[in-house]
Formats: sequence, structure tokens, C-alpha cells
Amino acid sequence: MRSRFLLSLLLAFSAAGARAGALDTCRELQHHGKLAAAQTCFAGLLTSPDPFVRAEAYFGLGRFDEANEEFRTAYRNQPKSAIVKAEWGQLYLEHHQPGDAATLFEEAIEADQNYAPAYLGMARVFAVSYDKRAKDLAYEALKRDPKLAAADELLAYLALEDNDSTAATEEARKALATSNEALDGMAVLASIDWLNEKPQSEWMDRILKVNPAYGEAYATGAHFFEINRRYQQAISYYRKALELNDHLWSARSQLGVNLMRLGLDTEAKQQLELCYAAHFRDAETVNSLRLLDTLKDYETFKTGTTELVLNRKEAALLRPYIEPELQRDVAVYERKYKMKLPGPVRLEVFPNHQDFVVRTLGLPGQGGLLGVTFGLVVAMDSPSARSPGEFNWASTVRHELSHVYVLTATHHLVPRWFTEGLAVHEEGAASPDWGDRLTPDVIEALRKKQLLPVLELDRGFVHPEYPAQVLVSYYEAGKICDFIVEKWGDDAILGIIRSYADRKTTAEAIEENLHEPVAAFDKDFTAWLNRKTGDTVSHFYEWKRGMQQAYADLKNGKKDDAAREANAVHGYYRDYVGGDSNYELTANLFLARGDSAGAANVLEQYRDAGGTNVETLKKLAHLETDLGHPKQAQVTLQKLNYVYPEDAETHRMFGKLLLTTGDANGAIREAEAVLALKPGDVAESHYELAKAYQAANRRAEAKDQVIAALEVAPNFKAAQQLLLQLSD
Amino acid sequence: MAAAQTVGCSLRLLTVLFLAALAARGADYFVTIAGLGGLPEYDKQFSDWAAQLDRQFRENGPAAHVMTLSGSAATKREIQRAFEQLAAEIQTGDSFSLLLIGHGTFDGTDYKMNLPGPDITAAELAALLNRIRAERQLVVNMTSCSGASLSALARKNRIVIVATKSGNEKNATVFPRYWIDALRDPAADTDKSGSVSALEAFEYTEHKTAAYFESQKLLATEHPLFTDTGTADAVRDPKPENGQGLLAGSFLVLHPEADESKTVAPGKQKLIARKEDLEAKIDRLKYEKAAIPPDEYKQQLTALLLELARTQAEIDQ
Repeated sequence: MRSRFLLSLLLAFSAAGARAGALDTCRELQHHGKLAAAQTCFAGLLTSPDPFVRAEAYFGLGRFDEANEEFRTAYRNQPKSAIVKAEWGQLYLEHHQPGDAATLFEEAIEADQNYAPAYLGMARVFAVSYDKRAKDLAYEALKRDPKLAAADELLAYLALEDNDSTAATEEARKALATSNEALDGMAVLASIDWLNEKPQSEWMDRILKVNPAYGEAYATGAHFFEINRRYQQAISYYRKALELNDHLWSARSQLGVNLMRLGLDTEAKQQLELCYAAHFRDAETVNSLRLLDTLKDYETFKTGTTELVLNRKEAALLRPYIEPELQRDVAVYERKYKMKLPGPVRLEVFPNHQDFVVRTLGLPGQGGLLGVTFGLVVAMDSPSARSPGEFNWASTVRHELSHVYVLTATHHLVPRWFTEGLAVHEEGAASPDWGDRLTPDVIEALRKKQLLPVLELDRGFVHPEYPAQVLVSYYEAGKICDFIVEKWGDDAILGIIRSYADRKTTAEAIEENLHEPVAAFDKDFTAWLNRKTGDTVSHFYEWKRGMQQAYADLKNGKKDDAAREANAVHGYYRDYVGGDSNYELTANLFLARGDSAGAANVLEQYRDAGGTNVETLKKLAHLETDLGHPKQAQVTLQKLNYVYPEDAETHRMFGKLLLTTGDANGAIREAEAVLALKPGDVAESHYELAKAYQAANRRAEAKDQVIAALEVAPNFKAAQQLLLQLSD
Repeated sequence: MAAAQTVGCSLRLLTVLFLAALAARGADYFVTIAGLGGLPEYDKQFSDWAAQLDRQFRENGPAAHVMTLSGSAATKREIQRAFEQLAAEIQTGDSFSLLLIGHGTFDGTDYKMNLPGPDITAAELAALLNRIRAERQLVVNMTSCSGASLSALARKNRIVIVATKSGNEKNATVFPRYWIDALRDPAADTDKSGSVSALEAFEYTEHKTAAYFESQKLLATEHPLFTDTGTADAVRDPKPENGQGLLAGSFLVLHPEADESKTVAPGKQKLIARKEDLEAKIDRLKYEKAAIPPDEYKQQLTALLLELARTQAEIDQ
């Protein structure tokens, strides 16, 4: 309900400005929930001789195009007016054009560096995208006008987004000290009550006394439920908002978006279409409707515990891989978390990244997201939506499924850092090469001591202060969970989950289950992490220089020098598996010397350290096959399937290997994958599938496949021989 | 996939006829020209590709006439000189293939292939080709902007393949890499005949080129086109429905295996005839597939394929 919340802030400050008294009267009516009277009042101002008043009147009536034209005239008449620029900027912000709004707010600041509402406008622009500069600019506004209650209200809102209810309460009370009708300050206070399971908030009673139609307050609460992943409650509060004012289109849109997140597509579409028909067409509404229109291209595969939603064009390829993995994850978590989910978990896989992005719009920490969980619903990119090797889909499923269990177990009362940290930990627990790596960004953060204390770690996800902070926060949260498991065991994790379910704070959960104060925990964790990473962090630049030199030597043909340089620094940073890695350089040097075994050995270390470069892994698979190491080749090919299942060559190679090792069912799966990829060589692909069926003693299916091969290529001799064998 | 199978089916009829006439077939001529790279890495790349093609074409046996011009030898003058010689030598029953590797340019009017010294235009290339008497010709222009050469090069009984759909696709192409692969990778021989036709090579290369851009999540900067109908109405997917692919299906660019009809023992000629009869029956059945109930089709097809397999086994004994 962000935009209406912001509008009300605007009304508060603009009413204090130098304006026509009539405009203030209209706004007063609106502020007190007399919406029909306010509309009549605004309509009466449309004939004002002042284009600025007309602009505000149209704005009040929600007639954006006409308001825009009038603002343009007012801007022309008063080119140096900070007020006109800032109000026009607010119109753009309300119309979902934060970029244009920012330009006007900047102009307003340039026109009058002491005009506090312009700083507040900029703060709101940043708040839309969870940018930490929102807070700085709100403070700038307050510096210029300490009685700008709307700035305090925004700060309260931002603090609660960081799950800092103490600061949020403090800021909201400051707003109320300035204006006892600060509706949005009260809405934040009411939200704190609602989040703490106090549905009857006294603050809502006070709000309704001021404005009986103030649905925005419930929408504010819904927003906080939403960013805390409590989508059912978010839906319930958006409905309450609409009961008070059914023209709150942003609330209706968010209702639709959240219904869609929970898989309630029919009503989602109805709500979103209502918004569209009312000309409320922000990016979330339009893109969500587009996504709903594409759902006819998807097919749902149900088992007792899972629902897998795949695009028809890749269902045949992906289902045999994802469905068993999903079921395996469910079984693992049922055992580990000692619970069953209340219904089947639904996994939606989007081959078009933009469709996945629609699922994440409006949520904090979007950058780089691979999957997102809404209760029992998980949405994620399909492997085909990303470049080969860019992400491990199985690891992502494992991560998101952890959220499903933890959110369910805690009734969605878990802080962001813990559920993310545990999900990252679970990836690593499933396979050491999964999960977050110690990347150069993390090393830089460790070097600068930028990791956050556990009680503040949510801030790193929601309002990052430097570009890599979200990813660094994932790493840190994951390591915290690793640390807990290493020192206190898995039961401590289960204990913390139970504590959150019992509405305990992070400090309480840590003290109850780890039996030490949170400050001591932070200290112990930092010491533990330093032991694990200290050597890499302190030698990072040495490693970097060494690798640069090694690659320079290689380029200049000095292979021995390159090998020496790479070898000298390798131990400093074994976790590095990005581009131009030590592993790949060393393996290439081995190959240049004709030492395939040496190269394979190094590349197996690369693979096991988390390397995902597809070409490198394929090279390794070939080396292992040629060297007669089928078990290692299987590990490599399995990993390739996790990071690039669209590669027919990998499936073909894997199928042949499985056939030689006696795994006929695996060979069938791989041969079917080749066919699903619509290979150029159709005859060969049917033949390979026939061979796999034959090995599995499924003669009828084998014969069907060999006939399919020969239908394309009647003189395919190997297939002819197989047909003769199968016809004996 | 069904369409592709139908292509294979219709082409098989032609191939059967073609193979039957193999004894009367003329010689195969392959000319590869690698143009100016402009940068050392491109010069090396183009020469390497030309050398690889040269090796592949020589696998057709000692009767294949293979000529490769690259580096400083690939001047306009040298090309003209080579064509003068070939024009005198090549007979109507021979087949002739020209393969162009390098950078092309298009100024809105003329396509030019970059060469050391003066470049050569599409019209000049067409004029040289028109002097070659071989009735069956293949031109594979793998250069950037090669789409702009298509209208000048298209002619009856000439297969023209270009790496780009127009003169506006100016990036260096990956098409040659996959064309060379098509001559090496058994997967290109989709009908498992032991040879690779121009159609098979094109389909393989087109598939791999598209897959390359898809796998790299890059916008494709080249879209290969094909025509063998004598017109410039080129397509990306030759098939009977668009009337493309008939000539290319019988034009072999790689046929290292000996002609079976000439190598089997005299006593097995009847088996060869039987085999060809079965192949023709299979082709006819496949044509009629849509009109036959699926179970019946499967039954008939299985019977014919089984008999063909047994016949082949007897031939191979």
C-alpha cells in the first residue's frame, strides 16, 4: 500500500504550504475520510484561474493526464517554484514513474535547497526500491523542517521494513508529537501490533476516528506482512483495506499479486483486471496480468506431496529431473525438521526470466534472485532462463524448499536472516559444492569488517548499504547457521525454529538454544569465521597479483613460470571457481604437457569446490571417460545436468556411460532427455533410447524406438541389427 | 519433426535414383576460398577453417578435385585464374562446390568479399560460377553480410547457402565452424547413409548455429538461409512444403563410403535390387502415413523395415 501511504504524507506537508485555502479544505475533507465531499470540493476547483490549483484538483480527483497538463502550465508560469516542481514530482510518483519524479524533486531541490518536501519526495522515490538513501533524505528533510511529520512517518515505515520495531515506534511517536492526526505514523504503530498477533490495535481505532475510510492503514499492515513472507495475512489485510475504501487500486493490485503468489490465479486475475479497467496500470498489475495469460502454456504434474508446474515446451526434458529431486527434498526435510507440510508444495519453473521477475516485483532484495517462496508455493527460473552454468537448479530447489518448511514451522514468524541462512546451509549440507562461495565481494566485506551483527543482519537483505551487501548477507547468514550446527548441532537449529514459532526475538532464540548472550554469540561467530577465512582474506591481494602474473606468463608463452606462479598462490584461495580460475589454468598446463590424468585431477578439485563452467566440466567429463574413470565421469555429468540440462551432448554421453555401468533406467532418462531437446540427429537418438530400453528388458518399447529410428533412416545399420535382435 | 522426416522421405526417392545413376556420375570439384581477416586472429582462423575443409573434402577419395585458396593466395586475380582453369576442365556431369570463408561487406547495393587487394563482388562471383559447366553446383557463402550475395548467386540447379539473412548482419560468423563440424560429426548424417548431403550439412549447421546463440543467451547475429530452386526466395527450413531441399538432398558433400552396388559380389545384385525395392516401398508408405490408421501403418512399416534389415544382413554376409 506504499503509494497511498505516500500520498497521504504528501497531503500532510502540502497542506502546510502556501496554497489556496479551498485546496486545503478539499484535502482536509479527504484526510478525514469524507471522500465524496472531497471529490465535489476538488471538482469545484477545476475552474480556478490558477493552473497549479487546477493541477492539484485534478490530482485529487485521480485524473492524472489532466493534472499533468496543468502542472506543465504551472511549471511554465513559475519556472523557479520548488513547490510546483515537487508537487508535480509527487504526481509522477503516484503514477508509478519514480524516475521522472526524481528528476522533478532534484529540480525542486536545486530551486530551493531548503525546501524540505522536495527532500522527502526524493526519499520516497528511494523507498520504492528499498534504497537505503531513503532514510538519509528523510533526515535531510527533517533537518530543514523538524516539524515535517511525514518525514518521521516515512522513517518509521523504513525502520519497520528493517524489522526494527523499536526505532519504528520511536519515529512514529515523533510524528504524532508533531501532528496528533499523523495517520501513517499510527498505521505503522498498528502494523507493529498486527505483526505481533494483536489484531485489535488501539492505533487502528484512533485512525478510524480521524478517517473512517482510511483503508491505507490496513494496506500498510499488509505490506509489512508481505515483506515478512506472511502472504495469507497480507491478503487478509488488503481485503480489509478495500472494505474501507474500494477505490484503493494499489491495494487491490497487491491483493491480486499476492493471490497469484499463492497460486489462487482465478481471483488474482479478477482483481487485477478490475485495476486495469480502472486505469490503474502499474508495472506489477500489467506484468502480472501478462503472466497469468501465459499460464495456459504450463502443465501441472501432481504427486501426493508435490505439484510441479512446467512450461509445456520444456516439461518433457525437465520433469524427469526436477520431480524426483523435489520429492527427495520433501523427504529430507520431513525427516530433518520432523514435520509434514499442510499440503503439497507447488514449484513453478519459468523459462522466461521476466515471468519469474514478475513474481518477485515489489519484494526487497530482488537482485540476483534465483527462486522465491510464498508459503507452499515456490517460483524459480528455469535453467533455460539463465546462461549455461549460471546456476544450479537442484541447489536452488533445495534452498527454496527449506524456506517452505521453515516458514510453515514458524507460522511465517521467522526473520529474514535466519530463513535465508538456513536455506544456504541446507544447500551445503546437501552437497559441499552447493551453497554460497567465498567470493571476492565477500572477501572484500570481510576485509573491511562489513559483516553485520546478527540482530542487524536483516538490514543487509532489505536495505543494503553497498551493492554486494545482499549477497554478502546471504553468505554471512549461511555461515552463521553452519557455525550453529558445527558447535551446537542440528537440534539447536530446530530449537531456534521452535523459538521463532513461539514469537521469540532473535536474541531470545539465541539465548534459549545456544545458552549465550547474543553479543557473545556474535563474538564467537566472528572468531570462528576468521579462523575459516582469515588466511584467504589476508592473502587475497597476493593471490590476485599471483594469478594476474600467471595468466600474463601464460599469454607470453612462459608456461613453466605460469605454473609456478599459480601453484605458489593456489592455497590462499581454493574457493575461487570464477572466471580465470587457478584450477582451469593449471589443468590447461597439464594438458599442454599431455598429462590428462593431472588435468582431470585438478578439474575434479574445481568441480568439487563449486566450479560450474560448462565447457570446463564437459572437458573434464571427456577426460574422465577417456581415462576410464566412469565413477568420476558420472559425478561430473550429474553436475552438468544440474547446471545445464539443456545440453544434448551431456545427456548423450551420460546415457552411454550409464548403459556401460548397468544403470539402464538412468540411460533411459538421459536418452529421453536427448529426444526432448529435439536433436538434429533424430535417428541416432531413437536408437540410443532403444538400446537403453533393451538393457532394461523393456523389449516392446525398445522395438518402438528402433522402428522410430529406422523410419527416419531405414539404412541405419546398427538400428537394423538391433531390430533383428529384438525380433528374434 | 514430422516435417523433417517427410523431407528425408522425399529426398530418399531422389537419392535412390541418384545412387542408381552413380556409375555415370562425374567428378566432384571443391573450391574453398578464405578471405582477408584484417586481424591476425581472423587471418589464422579463416586459414585454419579452409585447411580443415580441404582435409574433409579429400576424404572423398582420390577422385575428388580439391582446391583451396587462402592467405595471400586468395586474391581476386588468383581466383579468376583458378576459375579459368576449372571452366576448361569441368564437364556438365561433374558437380562443383564453392565455399567462401571470411568477412563480407554490403554497402546497400553490392556485396563484396574481402580479399587481399581488390575485393570481389557477388556479381563477379556469379559470373565466374556461370562459366563452370557443371550442371549441379553448390555455393556456401559463410561470410558476414553473405545474405546480400544470395540474389546474385541463385540460379537453376545451383544450391546457394548463406550464413546471414541479409547484408545487415555484419558480425563475424560462427557458421563455418559448424559447417566443418557437419563434415566430421556422424550426427550430421541423419539418414545414416554413410554420406552427408548438402541438405544434411545445412540442417546440421543451422541447428548448431541457433543452439550456439541460444546457449550463450545472445541475440543471434546471423540467420543462415538456403535455396536450391534457382530463385532468391531462400528459407531457413527447407522442406517439401516450401519446395526447397530436393536438389540439396542428393548433392553429396561427403561420401567416403564406397558405392555398395559396385562393391558387392556379383551374386548379390539381386539382393541390392530387393533392397532398393524395399526402400522405395518404405518411402511410399511414409508418404501415405497420414491416410493410414496408426496401428496399420506401424505394422506395415515394421514388416518392411524388418525385411530391409534382413536383406542388408544378407548383403553384408
